[in-house]
Parts: sequence; structure tokens; C-alpha cells
Amino acid sequence: MMLEINGLVKKYKDFTLNCSMKVEQGCITGLVGENGAGKSTTFKAALGLISYDDGNIRLMGKAPSELTESEKQKIGVTLAESGFSGYLKVKDIIPVMAAMYPDFNRERFMSLCHKFSIPQDKYIKEFSTGMKAKLKVLAAITHNADFLLLDEPTTGLDVMAREGILNLLREYMEEDENRSILISSHISTDLEGLCDDIYIIHEGKIVLHEDMDNLLNEYGLIKADDSQYTKLDKEYILSVRRTPYGYDCLTDQGRFYKENYPDLVVENGSLDETITMMTGGKRL
Amino acid sequence: MKGLLIKDIRLLKGQSTILLALLVLVAVFMGVVSDVSSFFVVAYITIFLSIFVASTISYDEYDNGYLFLMTLPVTRKKYVNEKYIFGILISIFAWCVGMAAGTVLMIAQGAKTGAGEWIGGNLMYICIAWMFMSIMMPLRLRFDSEKARYANIIMFALIAAVAYGVSRISQYVPDNILRNVSAFFNTLGNNGILALCAVAAAAALLISYICSRHIMEKKEF
Repeated sequence: MMLEINGLVKKYKDFTLNCSMKVEQGCITGLVGENGAGKSTTFKAALGLISYDDGNIRLMGKAPSELTESEKQKIGVTLAESGFSGYLKVKDIIPVMAAMYPDFNRERFMSLCHKFSIPQDKYIKEFSTGMKAKLKVLAAITHNADFLLLDEPTTGLDVMAREGILNLLREYMEEDENRSILISSHISTDLEGLCDDIYIIHEGKIVLHEDMDNLLNEYGLIKADDSQYTKLDKEYILSVRRTPYGYDCLTDQGRFYKENYPDLVVENGSLDETITMMTGGKRL
Repeated sequence: MKGLLIKDIRLLKGQSTILLALLVLVAVFMGVVSDVSSFFVVAYITIFLSIFVASTISYDEYDNGYLFLMTLPVTRKKYVNEKYIFGILISIFAWCVGMAAGTVLMIAQGAKTGAGEWIGGNLMYICIAWMFMSIMMPLRLRFDSEKARYANIIMFALIAAVAYGVSRISQYVPDNILRNVSAFFNTLGNNGILALCAVAAAAALLISYICSRHIMEKKEF
């Protein structure tokens, strides 16, 4: 187990995070939710950057605050709102990374910087949002880490750059089957094609955990009018939302409704719809 | 630790090359124009540049950089260790630059100061720089840059007030006690006073380091 969070509680004045989740070895786990749902707080707690009120966190088998330097060398991190000091240039970062990570691959880092058009001799504070995002990911994947914790790594990137970064993450996983990634994003299509399992977080709570294959193949969105909704077996309905024409119902047994209610429109599951229904609908 | 040192040296190199050149120029210019002592030039460069060390914390903090820094293979303890080692190294470097500039000025002014007096007298400024560093470092770690600026002003105002208070109180201290204190320092000689200052500076650094470690352990990012 790469990361295990049990009953984590972090209280702020106007927000409480209450979260349990885990990331298995060899898996890419996604964490998705709207802005302010608690994604970044979860990352900070998992990395030992903030204290918490209750619960237990094990990162690579240890409490985050107990990780030694050599254990931290096996972790690669990108954070949504933080990175290298803006007063450094990429050419300054290279010797810092080489000194901090014994397995830092300088040549690969430099060639990836070249590939993604990241300038060597420019202060990071002058970088665009996209360039900063790319630099963070490149630094995280080029020191042979076993576990990547990536908070919103694709924010600010155009479609091509996003796809390039996601391909890098796929390559990273292919290089060693024991590696793992925890990734958060508000762009659900990024996670759909990448993750093995997904957590949806809403107002500080995990509202759904599901295997991605299961979500895409078994989940469905039922579109029912008032009379169809009344007759509907609600046993496998997870969430309901009122619409101008009737009801949208999210189910984790799409096939059941397709077979038993041939008149109903049952759309295939998608992460976007699941998020919308689990965070905006009424949960049954 | 090595990575952090490289980072700070690179940060300082990028930001303070012009500052250092300016310091040397201003110091030498003041020495030539206003005929200030070459000792002043050494003090000016050493203390000014040492104070600048605490500002590398601002560069770490810029744009929430602290958060990311603490995800690197760096422990909170090592971060504090590095800041103090870096500070001591920079103060020694600044002193060397100051000594070089001061020596050039002294020769130009034709002053006849003995080597022992010249080096010994100037070593005192490293102690003063360490005292300043001891105050600024924990304040800078505890408060963000804006609050730390006010905290620094308050702290230095407090020191000035205490120094003024002590000087006023000394008027009311009985003469025989003052004479004894004065005699004690006279018996110490220049080397003894320098050693005493070095011990005081080292003690200040140690206390400051312990405070900084405690602050950093409790810090939320």
C-alpha cells in the first residue's frame, strides 16, 4: 500500500475535511472534486505539511512526518499552488535536483524541458501558468520515484500539452509495474483515460469510490419522465436530480435498467455525469 | 542539505550580485569622500550582507514555495540547519569581501593600523552580524515577510530602548561598581573582549537556532 488515509479529520473555521482513501501499489488513483472540495488539503495532510485533528495517515508505510530524506527521495510531488521559487531558473534547479535526488536523470530532464519548450535561462516567475505546470511534472518524474502525488498537474495546459503530460505519466507507469500515482484534477477526461480507480470528493467528504472500468462500463444515467420515475425500482439508484422533463438518475447497474426497462433512456456512464450527479443530485 | 545550500547560493547569486557590488562601491566611496574609517567599511559590508541572508526565506516563501520545498527530500530540522550554516558562511564571505575593500581603503588612506588590531578589530563585526542574524532568523521563520518586517522594527527598537535604558541607569550605579566593571574589561584586554563577544554571539546563535527549530516544527504550510 502506497498511501492509506483512515478517518482523516482536519477542521478549519468554515470547512471540515473528513476523508478516508488508499492508493494501492501499481495503481493510478484519481481524486476529483470541485474547487474547495478538499483535494489540496488531502494532499497537504498526506505529505505531512499540515497537522490534523483526527485519523491516521500512512505514506509508504510510515506517518508522513516520520519520513526520512531517503524515503522522500522515492516520492515525486506537484502541488496546485506551489512550486520552485520564482527567483530561480531551470538551470539553477538542475544542480539542486541532482544534489537532492541520487537517481535524478539530468539528461532526461533536460531533453523533456526541450521537448516541452521550457526555457533554461528564464526566471520561473516569468513563466506562463502552463510552463510552470509542465516544469513541476517533469521534475517529479525524472528522479526514479516510486510514488507520484500530483495535485492538479494539468491545470493551465492546452490540449496538446495535457495529452503530452498524460502520456509521460503512462510511460512512467509502464517503466515499473510497482509504481503508483495519486492524481487530482477537475478535468475529468484526463482521469477517465488514465486512472484505475477514482475518488469523488465533495464538501470535504468522499462521496464515491469506484474502479474506473466499473464506472465507465456499469454506471448509467437514466433519463425518466415523472410516470417512468414513479414505476422505477430505486434499489440501484445512487443519486437523483430533478430536470425540466422529469428526473436524471445515476445508477451503478446500468445493464439492469436497460434490460428491465426497455422504454427508458439509459446513457452509458461517464465521469463527468457521475461527478455532477454525486455532487449536485440528491443521494438515495 | 547540499541541495538546499546550492539553492540558496543560486538565489543569492541571482539577487545579490548587484547589491554586493553596490555595497562595496558605496563603502569605498564613503571612505574616500567622507574619510570614514576603513573599519566602518568592513562593518558595513559584513553586517548588511548578513542581514540579507534572512531574506532568502522570503524567496523560499514566494508564491507558496515553502509548500513545495517541504515535499522535497528535506526535513524541517535540515531546513533550519541549512539556513544557519548558510548564514554563517555568507557572513564569513561578506567579512572577507569587506576586509579586502577595507584593506584597499586603509592603504589608500595611508592609515598605520597594525595587522593584529586590524584583523582583531574587524572580527568583532562577524560577531555583531551573527547577533543580528540570531534575531532575524526566528522572526522571519515565524512571521510572513510583511509581519516579519514590523517584528524586526519592533525588535531593533526594543534593543535600542534597552541600550538607552542601560546607559541611563549606569548614571545611577555607584562609582565603585562601575570602576570594578571597567577594571574587569581592562584586564580582559582586546583579545579577551573579542573572545567574550565571540562567546556571546555563539550563545545568541545557539538560542536562536533552538527557537527556529521549535518554530519550524510547529509550522503549518
